[in-house]
Amino acid sequence: MRTPGRQDGDEAELIERSRKGDSEAFGVLVERYQRRVVGVALAVVHNQDDAIELAQETFVRAYENLTKFESRSSFSTWLYRIAANLAIDFWRREGRHVVLHGEDAETEIGKLPTTTGDSFKEVSRSELSARLKQALEELTPEHRAVILLREVEGMSYDEISEVLQCPRGTVMSRLHYARTHLRNILKDLGGN
Amino acid sequence: MAECGEISMMLGAFEDSELEPNEMQEVAYHLARCESCTGVLADYSTLGRDLRSITEVPSLAGFSSAVVARVERLPQPVLTRIERFVRRQLNSVGSGFAWSGAVVAAAIVTIILMTPYAHQFANRGTLPTIVASSDHNAALAPAPAQVADVATSEPTMADNDSHADISRLESEHSVAVWSEPRRDTTVIWLPDQP
Repeated sequence: MRTPGRQDGDEAELIERSRKGDSEAFGVLVERYQRRVVGVALAVVHNQDDAIELAQETFVRAYENLTKFESRSSFSTWLYRIAANLAIDFWRREGRHVVLHGEDAETEIGKLPTTTGDSFKEVSRSELSARLKQALEELTPEHRAVILLREVEGMSYDEISEVLQCPRGTVMSRLHYARTHLRNILKDLGGN
Repeated sequence: MAECGEISMMLGAFEDSELEPNEMQEVAYHLARCESCTGVLADYSTLGRDLRSITEVPSLAGFSSAVVARVERLPQPVLTRIERFVRRQLNSVGSGFAWSGAVVAAAIVTIILMTPYAHQFANRGTLPTIVASSDHNAALAPAPAQVADVATSEPTMADNDSHADISRLESEHSVAVWSEPRRDTTVIWLPDQP
């Protein structure tokens, strides 16, 4: 991942050309970041078609607002933030879930069973995968986004914090919640 | 030794190497003595692998072109539209100039190279050839002696004036061929038949 707040000369030039309406230059930027932007959207909405649509919308919004982009953060982080915001808004609008915010989410952690205990190693891999997909659906978009951005996209806590616009401590607690939740579901499956 | 509850909050960050060095040390110290927390850590690791394996990245074929197409359909602010229009015009004018220049240059080179051949071709095709004999075209054609003089003597003002271009002089058969550029005429002189 590129260092926040810095663009190489090539990228700065592409951004500048895109600002002036050069759609071809913008196409190069799209090619460069499309996979990761789709990954961010997918981490939140967990549906491929929606993620693709949201990623397209992300790039269109970015193009429209290029004049507002300042080089304080990296272009990629700025893009991922747009993608995450759009995806979370989409999820809320669709009303498919109950979203837990701030302290509500944190208190949920306390309600979880203890994390110590049996391992789920013995459960078959395919069964685990199927259950894991279902378990991911049960997470709030914020918690799902945090764990997928970390585990699948390989983002650091600071990057996740910047993309999701929340403190690093929140990233840590959400990750802990998501991991504990998923582990307990899978552990229950292993116990059945 | 720290309690498991306290350490469990840090296990994920330990797995991600996102703790401060002293915290990393503390968790490592705990794990060395706690089988339960070691099991949880192993589960987190397995969980990460599973998450990566079940996440299918959709095909992105045609994605960027679809985005560019959408972007190009966007209504542009007036200033941007004017700027883009001017730039397009300048680009097209610039390329127009370049093409025109290339065509003109090619035409000039062609003219320069082809001019001598064109002259030859034109002269061949258009110059009338007059077959003269000593009696019928005496006024037009010089006598063989005169022709020989022209061929051998130093050019004079009169010669220059006539600009006769002797291409062949066959004294043995008494045939002379020359052209008269001023008159656009090629003359073939034949002696009178006996």
